[in-house]
Amino acid sequence: MSGSAHGRGGGKKAETRLPPEEDPEFQIAPMIDILLVLLVFFMSISSTEVLQTNENVRLPVAKDSKEKKKLAAGEGQLLINVLWNSNTNSGAIEIDGQPAFERADQLGPILVTKLAATPEFRVLVRADKEVRYEYLRTILSAAGANGVSNVTFSVVDKEESK
Amino acid sequence: MGFQIAPMIDVVFVLMIFFMASAGAKVVEKELNMSLPAGKGAGGSAVTPIIIDIAGDGTISMNSQNYGAPADRSLGTLRDWLKNAIESFGDKDPVIIRPAPDARHERIIDVLNAASASGVKNLTFN
Repeated sequence: MSGSAHGRGGGKKAETRLPPEEDPEFQIAPMIDILLVLLVFFMSISSTEVLQTNENVRLPVAKDSKEKKKLAAGEGQLLINVLWNSNTNSGAIEIDGQPAFERADQLGPILVTKLAATPEFRVLVRADKEVRYEYLRTILSAAGANGVSNVTFSVVDKEESK
Repeated sequence: MGFQIAPMIDVVFVLMIFFMASAGAKVVEKELNMSLPAGKGAGGSAVTPIIIDIAGDGTISMNSQNYGAPADRSLGTLRDWLKNAIESFGDKDPVIIRPAPDARHERIIDVLNAASASGVKNLTFN
């Protein structure tokens, strides 16, 4: 304190030499804070749609497909996975991770409730490339009967490289 | 030797390069859109629709004429025909796809793909 009282005049040389450099101590607390911030960031970015996709579905290839449409506010989407079992040659329809069923009868009530919530509603069908049309037809007719006119199929635009 | 930050930054860069490479190799999902004649006045249209049949073995036909063999994934003939039809009659004509019950989804997507590339706007199923 006595140094600063008279230091302005001409005492610059002695007071302002830096102390010999030391390595700063390694502090882990700020690093953990950064980690938590990153974690919160990625948790908020990931959408529920990633959770709904069934990884066993091999999508067909379509080179002229369009980019995935982002949903605007007021638009809703129902994601339907259609699996295919090559061993039994049968398909299974899965919605929202609930157990798979064969016919799309349960689809009607779900569509009605979702349509009531969001008028601009579309159905996104993720069907395996081997699925026979009869399974898709039940989904399409359920959609048509309940007034959903926008149906979209998920595809990939290039073959998966193994 | 005390705490050195340079190796940690090197490790971060290696991790970053690894994830950049693996993300580039991933396939991203895209989509093909179509509309169903539902709830918006499904009245008959005055123009004759274009009907494309898909057989169980993958043969594409229209008006009993063959437009695509099962092995033909690019469907060039079909695309040319559709492009001609769009240019002559405009893209308001509905194109109706009629797959057989045992037609594979991959084949149906081939047809949707070809139709979308040819400029068909009004696409539906029957």
